Amino acid sequence: MSDAPVLQVEGLVKHFPIQGGLLQRQVGAVRAVDGVTFSIRRGETLGLVGESGCGKSTIGKVVLKLIEPTAGKIVLAGEDVTALKPGAMWTHRRRIQTIFQDPYSSMNPRLPSGTIVGEPLENFGIARGAARDEQVAQLFRRVGLRPEAMRKYAHEFSGGQRQRLGIAKALSVNPDVIVADEPVSALDVSVQAQVLNLLIDLQEEYGLAYLFISHDLAVMRHISHRIAVMYLGRIVELADKRTLFTQPLHPYTEALLSAATAPDPKRRGLRKKIVQGDVPSPANPPPGCHFHTRCLYATAQCRVTAPPLLEVAPGHHVACLRRPVGGDPGPLSIPG
Amino acid sequence: MSGTPGPILEVRDLHTQFSTLDGIVRAVDGVSFDVARGETLGIVGESGCGKSVTAMSILRLIPRETGRIASGSIRFEGEELTTLTEEEMKRLRGHRISMIFQEPMTSLNPVLTVGTQIAENVVRHLGVSWKQGRERAFEMLDLVRIADARRRLDEYPHQLSGGMRQRVMIAMALSCDPQVLIADEPTTALDVTIQAQILDLMIELKEKTGTAIVLITHDLGVVAETTERVVVMYAGRKVEQASVETLFDEPLHPYTRGLMRAIPRLDVEADAAGTRPRLQEIPGLVPILTQPIIGCAFAPRCGFATDRCRRERPPLIDAGAGHLVACWEVDRVRRAA
Ligand SMILES: Nc1ncnc2c1ncn2[C@@H]1O[C@H](COP(=O)(O)OP(=O)(O)OP(=O)(O)O)[C@@H](O)[C@H]1O
Ligand SMILES: Nc1ncnc2c1ncn2[C@@H]1O[C@H](COP(=O)(O)OP(=O)(O)OP(=O)(O)O)[C@@H](O)[C@H]1O
Ligand code: SF4
Ligand code: SF4
Ligand SMILES: [Mg+2]
Ligand SMILES: [Mg+2]
Repeated sequence: MSDAPVLQVEGLVKHFPIQGGLLQRQVGAVRAVDGVTFSIRRGETLGLVGESGCGKSTIGKVVLKLIEPTAGKIVLAGEDVTALKPGAMWTHRRRIQTIFQDPYSSMNPRLPSGTIVGEPLENFGIARGAARDEQVAQLFRRVGLRPEAMRKYAHEFSGGQRQRLGIAKALSVNPDVIVADEPVSALDVSVQAQVLNLLIDLQEEYGLAYLFISHDLAVMRHISHRIAVMYLGRIVELADKRTLFTQPLHPYTEALLSAATAPDPKRRGLRKKIVQGDVPSPANPPPGCHFHTRCLYATAQCRVTAPPLLEVAPGHHVACLRRPVGGDPGPLSIPG
Repeated sequence: MSGTPGPILEVRDLHTQFSTLDGIVRAVDGVSFDVARGETLGIVGESGCGKSVTAMSILRLIPRETGRIASGSIRFEGEELTTLTEEEMKRLRGHRISMIFQEPMTSLNPVLTVGTQIAENVVRHLGVSWKQGRERAFEMLDLVRIADARRRLDEYPHQLSGGMRQRVMIAMALSCDPQVLIADEPTTALDVTIQAQILDLMIELKEKTGTAIVLITHDLGVVAETTERVVVMYAGRKVEQASVETLFDEPLHPYTRGLMRAIPRLDVEADAAGTRPRLQEIPGLVPILTQPIIGCAFAPRCGFATDRCRRERPPLIDAGAGHLVACWEVDRVRRAA
């Protein structure tokens, strides 16, 4: 891992307007992403974890510039791409590619898989004709598909194989960063292992940076170097994975870890009932600390003051009023 | 747990098939198991291995146009279900055998309030008055710990969060004191913190009511935390069965072992930052169920496979203390540790 970040995101905000009334005027906003800052280095995986609706995919879409941010800054390989219009963004698009949960939905069913994987090579003018076919064949081999399969159509592949097609396509233009949004969530565990191993191999081979989105903590711990835990549009804790799993400091991280099931009946009953209630709506998040409605440690102050994300130890950032810099309110007890 | 002897549910050599354009899908291909009174039995396996079709067969919900129970027997309290009329089945379903599914919206009626839906079920099966039905609905919502249950009675499913809908499903499923509750991926669509709440709730209610639970899931973590006995399925067949402790302590089928080594784990000792041990892959893919499977269904992916495995279907043998495994090479597998 080199130290220069390939992707930097600062104060990223994305609000979706809520329309209402007869005139469809804006009556509010879904604060899908509410001031998020992080960076990823070459060869590094940053995991984004959090419950449904907390804004993970929205961050992915904004950094890919598939949607425009409401505020904030996106720096790709040293260049500020925040304000770039689609045309100017084009040259940068090569640098940042994506893998989806369901690659099938983005594949033209009438084109052979080889053509689909080779599309970016043509679009970016990298290779055409026989040269392109040769590169596509190599990509197929690299992701564990037989080059003869280039003639087959997307529907003729299994879920895991389609994910390999998606990876080959993303890889074709030699990107710096890959946004992987739940890339293994739809796969069976036996196939999930194949795809995770492939992603790790490719990262080591090409120095790829991954923004890896998942709600599965075990997958997250396996693939990530650092992990950002999100809650209702904000990062509440960010740390290297070892620290996050052994010394979590945010009550929500604690709740997430304690809620995870483990494939070991001996640990039965160790799961602690830490968090009750549902995630509030991002259209109407609780004031102050978004987590206060479910937090065991909430005080009156938590209901009014939004805690900033502070670095409490080198590389360990926490947004909680119980965690002043330097102060040590004592460890939270986490099993495992 | 109820003291009455004998299993509440006995499934014997069940074969369920579908006719499709590609041929006959042998979705369930000779599966047998018992469910003891008050126990929690897990059925685990990867997508398409026949878990849901097994559940639907028990409930007789296989779509008639394309599917059928081709052979086998399903006995509930000693009574054969496969030959009951639809009317007779309707009296059982939602009453003595009930179910919850992954997506509650598919089984909740969007235009009826949750109170009305639960009350209807109670009135239909228990023949009580509407007022008593409503009261029961309130009790049930309260039991599954829906806050402000009285008010929620008059809400529609779409007004509830995913976790609350699943609670309503559980409330409805338990409203007539069933002997068996079949739960097909009941927490798969839920967030982890909500999943934990629902699993805890199911276990707690099971202990209160003595209802046996058949919990269908692809998640080994859920199996480990909630079940007492486990059936592992592969390609429409039962390949292993054991108590949950035994299964996780010493899985004997190469497929079960493969599954356990393929999952990333949270509970193992934390590794130094940056080092990522490789996950063990199970090579290849699940077989296509439209072709009859000769021999062991796992043979093309199995590191222990021999010629016999490819020719002859391995029978389920008792490897000790009721630990059943369908594998010719179980001794070699055991030694391989
Ligand atoms: N195009 C849109 N218009 C309006 N609201 C949106 C839009 N896209 C997302 N949202 C809302 O923004 C919030 C964050 O959504 P997002 O898809 O980023 O969540 P997520 O963390 O990826 O969740 P999941 O784990 O379910 O994929 C949600 O409340 C969602 O409903
Ligand atoms: N109505 C149907 N018509 C044809 N084939 C079907 C039908 N229902 C199920 N099948 C097939 O039967 C097999 C078993 O399906 P089943 O739904 O039981 O799998 P499952 O183990 O529940 O998987 P999942 O984990 O994905 O829910 C699959 O191959 C499936 O495609
Ligand atoms: S700021 Fe307060 S409510 Fe928020 S996580 Fe910390 S203790 Fe809990
Ligand atoms: S019977 Fe043979 S192929 Fe099947 S699991 Fe056992 S060793 Fe493997
Ligand atoms: Mg998402
Ligand atoms: Mg199913």
